[in-house]
Amino acid sequence: MKLSLSAQRLGSGDTRAMLRGKLVVTLLVAAVLGLAAVGYSYPQQPAKSAASASPILAAMEQELNRTMPVLSKTDPPAYFVSYTVTEVQRAEVMGSNGALLTSQEARSRWLEVQVRVGSYDLDDTRKVGDRQSSFSGGPGGPVPIEDDAAVLRRTIWLETDRQYRSAAEAFIKIKTGKEVKVETAEGQAPDFSRETPHVYYGPRGSFQLDRRPWEEKVRLYTGAFRTSAAVLNSIVTFSAVAENQYQVNSEGTRLQFGELRYRLELFIQGKAPDGMDINRYYNFDWTNPSQAPDDKTVLEQVKTLTHELQALVAAPLVEPYAGPALLTGRAAAVYFHEVFGHRAEGHRQKDIAEGQTFARKVGENILPDFLSVYDDPTMKRVGSTVLLGYYPFDDEGVPAQRVELVDHGVLRNFEMSRSPLVGFPRSNGHGRRQVGFAPVSRQGNLVVESSRQVTDAQLRGKLIEEIKRQGKPFGLLIDDIAGGFTFTGRGQPQAFQVLPLVVYKVYANGRPDELVRGVDIVGTPLVSLTKILATSDTPEVFNGYCGAESGSVPVAAVSPAILISEMEVQKKETSTDKPPILPRPAHDPVTKGSHP
Amino acid sequence: MSGRTRMGRPLALLLALTFSGFLAKPAHAQAQRAQPGDADHTLEAMRDELHRSRDRLQIPGLERPYLIEYRLLDLDMRTVSASFGALLSSTTSRNRFMSVEVRVGDYKLDSSNFVTDESFRGFIGSTGQVGIDRDYNSLRQDLWLATDQAYKEALDTLSRKRGFLRSLARPPGIDDLSQEKPVVLVTPHAEPDWTSRNWDEEAKAISAVLRFFPEVYSTRVTYHLIYATTYLMNTEGAEIRVSKSLAAIEASLETQADDGMPLHHYYATYAQRPADLPSSDVVRKEIERVGRELVALRAAPPAQDYVGPVLFEAPAAGSLLAQMLGPSLSGARPPLSMLPMFDQIMERMGGRSEWTGRLGTRVLPPSVTLVDDPTAKDFHGQPLLGSYSVDEEGVKADRVVLVENGMLHNLLMSRRPGPDFDHSNGHGRAAFLGDARPMISNLFLVSSETQKPAELRKRFFDACRAEGRQWCLVVREMDNPALAIHHQEDLSEMIGGLAAGAASGDRMPLLVYRVNATDGHEELVRGTRLIGLNLRTLRNLAGIGNDASVFSFAQSQAAGFAGTALAAFGTAQGGVPSAVVAPSLLFEEAEARGARGDPRRLPLVPPPPLN
Repeated sequence: MKLSLSAQRLGSGDTRAMLRGKLVVTLLVAAVLGLAAVGYSYPQQPAKSAASASPILAAMEQELNRTMPVLSKTDPPAYFVSYTVTEVQRAEVMGSNGALLTSQEARSRWLEVQVRVGSYDLDDTRKVGDRQSSFSGGPGGPVPIEDDAAVLRRTIWLETDRQYRSAAEAFIKIKTGKEVKVETAEGQAPDFSRETPHVYYGPRGSFQLDRRPWEEKVRLYTGAFRTSAAVLNSIVTFSAVAENQYQVNSEGTRLQFGELRYRLELFIQGKAPDGMDINRYYNFDWTNPSQAPDDKTVLEQVKTLTHELQALVAAPLVEPYAGPALLTGRAAAVYFHEVFGHRAEGHRQKDIAEGQTFARKVGENILPDFLSVYDDPTMKRVGSTVLLGYYPFDDEGVPAQRVELVDHGVLRNFEMSRSPLVGFPRSNGHGRRQVGFAPVSRQGNLVVESSRQVTDAQLRGKLIEEIKRQGKPFGLLIDDIAGGFTFTGRGQPQAFQVLPLVVYKVYANGRPDELVRGVDIVGTPLVSLTKILATSDTPEVFNGYCGAESGSVPVAAVSPAILISEMEVQKKETSTDKPPILPRPAHDPVTKGSHP
Repeated sequence: MSGRTRMGRPLALLLALTFSGFLAKPAHAQAQRAQPGDADHTLEAMRDELHRSRDRLQIPGLERPYLIEYRLLDLDMRTVSASFGALLSSTTSRNRFMSVEVRVGDYKLDSSNFVTDESFRGFIGSTGQVGIDRDYNSLRQDLWLATDQAYKEALDTLSRKRGFLRSLARPPGIDDLSQEKPVVLVTPHAEPDWTSRNWDEEAKAISAVLRFFPEVYSTRVTYHLIYATTYLMNTEGAEIRVSKSLAAIEASLETQADDGMPLHHYYATYAQRPADLPSSDVVRKEIERVGRELVALRAAPPAQDYVGPVLFEAPAAGSLLAQMLGPSLSGARPPLSMLPMFDQIMERMGGRSEWTGRLGTRVLPPSVTLVDDPTAKDFHGQPLLGSYSVDEEGVKADRVVLVENGMLHNLLMSRRPGPDFDHSNGHGRAAFLGDARPMISNLFLVSSETQKPAELRKRFFDACRAEGRQWCLVVREMDNPALAIHHQEDLSEMIGGLAAGAASGDRMPLLVYRVNATDGHEELVRGTRLIGLNLRTLRNLAGIGNDASVFSFAQSQAAGFAGTALAAFGTAQGGVPSAVVAPSLLFEEAEARGARGDPRRLPLVPPPPLN
């Protein structure tokens, strides 16, 4: 399984063609299928069941009451049915190079039905041998954006039958397959955990937005990037997303809650003389209109990104290297998300196609003993920074819970969905999915805590000590990171790769730091984790979108800066085409290419 | 971060439109430049970047472009979708897309018409979304990068192509691009107007009619209102800006018969402007009819295997011709491909033109003339959807007499020459800035020997009785799976079932009646599939009506590739507006089959109430 993380929802955008192409797809998909591109945030008020049940819940309940008595007595019997309607209101204003690309708003509601056939111990989702289970679930379908119970019920009725049919087929195959396959120890665990039902009616998220001021802002911000000839392309996107989830299941869970989230993303592209693509990216996340960044703040960021891009375009390439490295907080956060977080996802310990790095290491030391790690989706923010991995209930209707994964270096627990492990029979509220996918265990807010903290300046001092101790000419300072990916499957090497955007060579002899480009961090997880020497005292937040088998979900990772005694870097995969032949029209000395 | 997938032509299949509705007469290339008298700086930006690239774009030591062409599509779309009276979605969007083509080499041999095994990896694509402000600066910036990309890609492709040609024993001797007279035509902007009717309320009201048909499992009624301005400019001197619009109502209905057979029906109507769509009263009646017909299909007996005379009534005949003739009317050369599979796939999908190389031979009955005329505006007062004055490649539209007195005279041509013709006749059409291909515009099948409907029916009965049959088959309506089915699962099943039969001429009728040849009594049957209806069967028709009617449809961009209904038809959102004008056609012999395989069981739980 290849897992990925990036700050940008759409991947880190190697080319604008891709980015734009994808945007077309995304927008259409959002419009046609109602797929929510953005996941969870929190209700505007604390969790109180003040709101009353929506007619959507009532309609779902009516259908459930018609369905269960019939399907539970059919052969093979359905033992669990759940209905989820995800309502998304999304406004987006996007611009490029001083002009608007799009400005639109859309509303959709999307129904997903899950029917499980068999029993909690053995059902249609069981993976037998290395055969992939044909999961029940499936993309679902659109339902009216108005509260028309009859039409909603009709869609639920058809979709339930469709899901039952495919689950029943899968279950019959599994029962046959199971008898001829050898049972693994991990296979002893049941297929679905028993959980307490929850009833929660949270507040609804919605917004009324005049897009015109944002259209002007987007023109202004992208126009500001035009001052630099190094910026070949700029894209700025403002989005407002209100998402409401309605969920009903046959165990008695009744949930409705909503959230509202705003985002402004700045993205620019350039090209080094040797053809290497250079990107810079920054985003602002907020949940209350009053917290929106003002023009001054954004334009300062525009300037910073522009300067960084110009410096990177001119920076020298780095050769493959292994030696000490300092990762700033955001970079370290991505590092932990990739190296540790994905491997602590419960379902990966069960699937024999997975590497199961940590499956039998519970109770053992896997990190230096000054480090602890937990995942806590109930955290809404760190300081004033919004955490994207917040949610009140996961996508299987289980309340989000804080889970202590590593306690002073010792592995204690996993991020659990409702797919139990031997010794871990219950979910801890980490079953997540993008609309249209079946939930699996995923990270929410992954937080790294350290008891060996020093100030940033001291940490830098330690880096230089370590460079000297190892007799290396220089060490690396990794300052910003776009995201990364990791392989957890058995078919691939158990490796990870983190994509740094801003990397400096730090010299032991007092020479100033030198910006370099073209590096990817590589390495293997178990070794790499044990080489952490110390951390800083300031946690930093990386908010991003994590892609895995259950789609893209919003996550956060929080970590202080870390010093690693040995880190390996390799040359970045690069584009083959050279910079544009003609100068940018606005900067062409031969012909005037710009309107006043 | 996921892999570096480059979106080759990200636009091609998604939204898609090119259409009709025409405004002014094309003026031919003049010395003067076309300047719109409005705040649209698009042409200016295109012209300046085009000229700069023409004059200075070159990698030292390598060839310069011999042709650069910019196409731009400015789209305003309103889409409203409703089901059983409830709104599913209602969106308004505005987008602009560009497509930049740079050719190196020369008209004889250039960087086009070649499918490589490896695509060029570059920075920013030669297609993509551009700013919607109609401003100068951002568009020049986008065109600059896209032109650079397209030029590098063209150099790369041409060198591969030359290498590949050296490996062929006999390289094709057909040119890559025809030289045509450039057109200069700048027409006024048509500003979108959504206000003439309350589309949300109308979609809800129309779809609510089906609440009275509880047998219908699922349904969707979608209104598409589209305004598009297309721009084209190239280094040959073409400068074009034309505004067009298209409005459509497309509805799908699905159910299952009691024995489990999946059944569907559809309704579609198209107009050149939103205001020209039929009134909601008319549409309501039509939807009611379609609902009644689907309910009747549920109750109808399953079709049986059959060989004998088949009468296609007028609109069904038009649909049939659209499917059968689509692939064979194109006279353009196929692209060269490095992939050995490519030719086989084309063959298997029925995408081979059967008429190429058959000029001067008889392909239709001696009484029949076949004309494709994009300049025709209407047929007896009924507007024709496939009208335009300049095609997608900027070539003036021409009326083409394809078949005269049964003899093949001409083919539809784009700027891609073919074995029989080396010039365009203005039929290069495309959806959504896709590659232009020769496609039907307004196709007319006319016969000098026709019968009145009653006479044709009598002739049909006579043929039937001559076969010793009590009853024979009438096809009143052909299927359109692109519109009728909205569940991906069901569509996949159907594609699977049809792919095998595409080349052999499998066709899907929707409304088929068994008619008693003695008393004329009709009985609807369900699940019929017609097989073996390939082009050759059109050479001898047992009868042709005098009841020509217009069949309007959104032609699929893939129509040239496969001869099935699946390939012929798209939706208002992805198709090229087209029309076929044809009378009822009597086939002396056609083969029909009933449904095969085990149908799916019915839902275990009865449907919930709708009212």
